[in-house]
Amino acid sequence: MATSTNGPQGLSKCVTLVSSDGFEFVVLREAACKSGAIKRMLDPKSNFAESTTGRCVFEEINGIILEKVAEYFCYSYKNRNTEQVPDMEIPPELCLELLMAADYLDGEYEYCQLSGHLLTDY
Amino acid sequence: MLNRNPPPPPGQAPVAGAGGGPRRPTRQIRGPHSALTDFLASHNISANQIRQDAMARRAAALASQQDEGDGDENEDEGSTSSPLPELASTSSRRKKETKAQSEKRKKGEEKAIAKIKASKKFQRQKRMYGYDSDEDMSDEDEAARAIFEESMAPLPGQMENCELCDTRFTVTAYSRSGPDGGLLCLKCTKELDKEEGAARKKRKTAAGKQRRQLQSNLLDGIYPGAKGLVTLCVEALARNVDQAEDFGDLPAPLVDRLAAILSKKRLLNSTTFDLFLRPHNDTITVYDAAKLKSDDYIRIFQIVPKIKHLRLRNAIQFKNKVMDHLLATTVELETFSIHGANLIDDERWNNFLAKKGSHLKALKVYYTDGHFGDEQLELLPELCPGLERLKISHNQKVTDKGIAHIASLANLQHLSLELYKPTSTPPYVDILNSVGPTLRTLSLGTVSRIDDSVLEAIHENCQNLSKLRITGNEILTDKAFASLFTNWYNPPLAYIDLHKCRHIDATSPRENPDGIGLCSLGFEALMAHSGSTLKQLNIHSCRHISLESFETVFAPGKIYPELTKMNLSFCRNVNDFVVGCIFRACPNIKTLEVFGDFGVKDVRVPKGKILIGVPNAMGMQIEGTEQDEGRII
Repeated sequence: MATSTNGPQGLSKCVTLVSSDGFEFVVLREAACKSGAIKRMLDPKSNFAESTTGRCVFEEINGIILEKVAEYFCYSYKNRNTEQVPDMEIPPELCLELLMAADYLDGEYEYCQLSGHLLTDY
Repeated sequence: MLNRNPPPPPGQAPVAGAGGGPRRPTRQIRGPHSALTDFLASHNISANQIRQDAMARRAAALASQQDEGDGDENEDEGSTSSPLPELASTSSRRKKETKAQSEKRKKGEEKAIAKIKASKKFQRQKRMYGYDSDEDMSDEDEAARAIFEESMAPLPGQMENCELCDTRFTVTAYSRSGPDGGLLCLKCTKELDKEEGAARKKRKTAAGKQRRQLQSNLLDGIYPGAKGLVTLCVEALARNVDQAEDFGDLPAPLVDRLAAILSKKRLLNSTTFDLFLRPHNDTITVYDAAKLKSDDYIRIFQIVPKIKHLRLRNAIQFKNKVMDHLLATTVELETFSIHGANLIDDERWNNFLAKKGSHLKALKVYYTDGHFGDEQLELLPELCPGLERLKISHNQKVTDKGIAHIASLANLQHLSLELYKPTSTPPYVDILNSVGPTLRTLSLGTVSRIDDSVLEAIHENCQNLSKLRITGNEILTDKAFASLFTNWYNPPLAYIDLHKCRHIDATSPRENPDGIGLCSLGFEALMAHSGSTLKQLNIHSCRHISLESFETVFAPGKIYPELTKMNLSFCRNVNDFVVGCIFRACPNIKTLEVFGDFGVKDVRVPKGKILIGVPNAMGMQIEGTEQDEGRII
């Protein structure tokens, strides 16, 4: 694991995400912190076990979905300073499960991103 | 060299003896003559003859220049720096030029193209369309050549021979140039367009489409860049909604987002609607029910008998039949929000209030045309004693008489009215005197005739307001606004909308001697009172707020931590400096609207913020902040 290269606060640069069926994905800490839930888990102030080990185990998310989640982290990290980003492909059969996982991981909704003006004032 | 026959200008009959071309019979059909031509003709001087002579002289001069050029290559370098004499001629001549001439011509062309490429105008265009990478180098050459060929083409209105088929045709502004630079006739143009047109056109529009999409997203409040995973999933799900069978136990907020996005894409019909009928749920929201039929609405009450909150927009087919069915069921609605249901008559509304009114906590009625009026409002206090939220929007029937009954709704907390019939001050003051202390929302849309006593009543009675909207008024004064927000017992508000509260005078629009509308005093008092918790502020068209006032409110040291959305459109004193101050004073601002503020010209927008309505064609420019590297749209 990439624990040898340490970040500014003595934290490892990468973290490991573990799925319910045992698949492990190593992603950049900064990329994974796009998710509110993971950010809170890894916050050194939180005293969660994850914050010291850098390993997040998700009992509810299987390997296929977690792979997509990890792919999204990389996609969003790569495009963090770009304006015109092509949307990431999401296979229709994974949509619902991925949506549930995204909802769980995100922690908070981006309500301003609803359909915009259509929904205001009602 | 002079064996070339210049194409005669249109409307000019060939004159005998000029040039060696075949003689055509002279026709008597002529264009209009000028008085000068007539005068000269009477003195036996022909205007045509003069023109022909001049052309012959010019051609001779040109020919001698070229002869010199052929003789001395070095001198040629200087003389071709202006390729213009060459440009006057076109492909018809090229067939006859020698090899040396053609080489020379090519050299001249290259030079001219290089000159075009270096020109400021071309650089600007290049930046605009972004030919920057290597693969675009050929595009750049192409673009420069296009400009060059454009400059040497005959002017519109002249006659020319088509480069491909040699037919004679009139040059127009839309004439296209062919593969060798000559112009093409209409027929050949069409053929050429057909051959290469599709690909060429597509490439050109793709960039524009992308830019417009970006601006459209900004207007929708979507910041450019990678979308959230939830958003991506919801969109993917919306694209494949025909394959979905069941949403499973998707959390309610996500179902709501799906409902919103499906409605936005106009995908919500009888089939997809079934996905939202989940028997164990108590909420159904349809943002666009235009495609649903009466039977679909009836299905709601059959499949989801426990429904408590029903919100339907564009529910045109929610008519008497559906209402009758609802009245026959045991459904006990707490929230009923219906938009566009203009086929429910007053009798059904009375029945609905009588049978289902006792459970109602929120009633929202939008766009019912000639139905739902004073009579129904009169029934409300008696039949719906628990009503906490009442909204009547875009109603054509309710008048002062009906509004007066709202004062007897003892539990009312949220009141929102937008009526088409003109209303007056007294009923509003009555409402505020009786239910003012418990009101949390007060929204009075387009109340053009109410006066300062309403503001006084708000100041005296309201203690729990968090949302205040008074719009479209021409009577309320700045002083009254200022005293409303000064020493007000009410805690700071979260949402204030006072748009279009302004003085209107077509003859002297900038004068406002009586201080009508929300002006400097009122605005400063408002921000002093509510600035600490204010989330949204809309003061568009409040034109008389002064620049000094904006500068004081957003001065260094003032912080409005909660403010996320602000609309300052048509506040004519807003300028670059004010916008800069706002970005400093409101750290959490997401969108700022400045339509029609012509003082806003060239402002740096920090990353993560959206500035809408900048009066230039390219829209917003985003730049860096202290934390992140900059980027520009």
